[in-house]
Amino acid sequence: MTPDGGIRARGVRRSFGPVHAVADVDLVAAPGRVTALIGPNGSGKTTLLLMLAGLLTPDAGTISVAGADPVTENYVARSRTGWMPDVFGTWDSLTAREVLTTVAAAYRIDAARARARAGELLELVHLSELADQPAHVLSRGQKQRLGLARALVHDPDVLLLDEPASGLDPRSRVDLRVLLRRLAAAGKTVLVSSHVLTELDEMADDAVFISGGRTVATRSVADGDVPREWRLTALDPEALTRWLDETGRAYRTESDGTGVLVELPGEAAAAALLRSAVGAGVDVSSLAPAGGVLEQAYLALEEERR
Amino acid sequence: MSVDVQTSPPAPSAAPAGRGTWSLSWHGLRTVTVLELRQRVRSTRWKTALVVWFLVVGLITLLTTGAFAILSGDGMADEPFGGIVYSIVVGFVLFLGLLVAPTLSSGAINGDRNAGTLATLQVTLLTPAEIVLGKLAAAWIAALAFLVASIPFLAWALAGGGVSWLALLTTVLMLAVVLGVVCAIGLGFSALVGKTSGSAVLTYLTIGGLTAVLPIVFGLLVPVTTSTEEVRVWDVEPGYTWEETTAPECEWQTHEADVWHSERTWWLLAPNPFVVVADAQPLGGDPETLADDGNMLALLQYGVRYARTGDNGEQDWCSYMVGSGTDSPVEPVVVTDQLVWPWGLGFDLLLGAGGVVVAVNRLRVPTTHLPQGTRVA
Repeated sequence: MTPDGGIRARGVRRSFGPVHAVADVDLVAAPGRVTALIGPNGSGKTTLLLMLAGLLTPDAGTISVAGADPVTENYVARSRTGWMPDVFGTWDSLTAREVLTTVAAAYRIDAARARARAGELLELVHLSELADQPAHVLSRGQKQRLGLARALVHDPDVLLLDEPASGLDPRSRVDLRVLLRRLAAAGKTVLVSSHVLTELDEMADDAVFISGGRTVATRSVADGDVPREWRLTALDPEALTRWLDETGRAYRTESDGTGVLVELPGEAAAAALLRSAVGAGVDVSSLAPAGGVLEQAYLALEEERR
Repeated sequence: MSVDVQTSPPAPSAAPAGRGTWSLSWHGLRTVTVLELRQRVRSTRWKTALVVWFLVVGLITLLTTGAFAILSGDGMADEPFGGIVYSIVVGFVLFLGLLVAPTLSSGAINGDRNAGTLATLQVTLLTPAEIVLGKLAAAWIAALAFLVASIPFLAWALAGGGVSWLALLTTVLMLAVVLGVVCAIGLGFSALVGKTSGSAVLTYLTIGGLTAVLPIVFGLLVPVTTSTEEVRVWDVEPGYTWEETTAPECEWQTHEADVWHSERTWWLLAPNPFVVVADAQPLGGDPETLADDGNMLALLQYGVRYARTGDNGEQDWCSYMVGSGTDSPVEPVVVTDQLVWPWGLGFDLLLGAGGVVVAVNRLRVPTTHLPQGTRVA
């Protein structure tokens, strides 16, 4: 991890007239990791990303993107940042290939390399067959993929993706996840905003929760064990609850009655629980985390705010 | 995922350490211009407009030529009709050009902003100046296409005689520059206003202001610029009663008379696009033949030069009373050979430059200010 790489934002604020879109955000996204930016609609995710992308001046606070300040060193910051907006406007009459070569030219990449890069990226996002179709025939998901390719044209150190998964089919979502993991493995800083939490669960290393324009929590997803709820089901639910009562474990039954939820500190505890349950003769049919880490964390935050 | 992400990472080639808002490069300019033109050329609307333009200008040329061929058919067939046809065609091309040019640029920035494609250019390494001037170049080239489509008809009118090749050259050149200025003004408004319809209206109002409002102001200022002064007048001898049989003698007297000092307000006419185009041609000779020729451009040129010359301080009230034959000592007004168009064009170019400066400032990133009701992306 380079000392000045990645994204650092401290005390960032931005208001539009009387609306405080971003009130106070602290955010650190490290190179080599995928960071999720999570928050409800209207929580200021897009505004924050615009500031990180160097399009909007923060009213207060400091930002550093790939070692450059987007306010004072905007040009340098832009050269190292790839930004994919949530609404993907496109030059409708251009073909997908032309969109990419145009963006490459705008990043001052020479024509021959731009062509090669466009071909490469089109294959990467599985649009090679549609490469020479005008962009307006592309479906929403295909446009979204083209937008992702566009953000990658200049091989940026920092990727800012605003709702990249919206409109994508399941296959494309898996592809997106694999791609982002690989970019992170290659040392890029990836910041993904979304409110589809199950998706982020599988790709994010870290998560930053914002709400009402403020950072409300920062969690690590992949590092170590996180206490969370696990769902436990058995062939005979009554045998299971009896056993749980006997061993004195705290649990709650799910409202739809298919299983019980147990709070466990980590995976080792889950394995131990399973072993002792089976040992006690309970026919456990499944034991799995109930919902994603992020979903639980997000809902817990919602609870706290009420 | 069949392609390795890291293959041939095209790091931005030779990107200068930092390029400011006003930095320009040929590469960047060309990228934006090609992008804009590509989109225009592929839209059928634009092609239709060009064809309609060609037909309309052709029709006007045909009708004008036909009308004057018939008129000059009775007895004055040797009279060249080129002047009048030429001036009508030029005037019409300019008029249509002023209508079409704003549509080519007044949606260039706010239209892109609404479609979400402006920010995708702004985050790249293009500078605001490259984006704005690239868009201006594209709009101007599109406007010039309309001009090129009318050149056959201008040349045809020229073949009718009475107009010099040099006049055609200056006219086409001035038409091109004027259309460029209109595009630049439209671009400025499109950066300033959120809605494309709003920027179009403001552009039309500006053009209307130059073309119609300023001449009207010039007219309304006549009472203000007219003053009562002591004037040397070549007048009928005092005490002459018109019952006498001998013709009166004319002599110099001093009278109080109203003098219109149009030389104080001529500059109000200068920015008018029609004046700019008309005045840029070589100054015609005799005012008498001007009227016969019917070349309205030459007449307009004579008019503004006359306004700039102003009153020469002496008036002849006698000669026409007495009848011709008496020589008037009052010199006929010789219009100035001082050019009017550089002032008008200079002013128009300043407006255009203002449009460009406003647009570039509005595209500066990161932005602190957003036009009302707009999003960055």
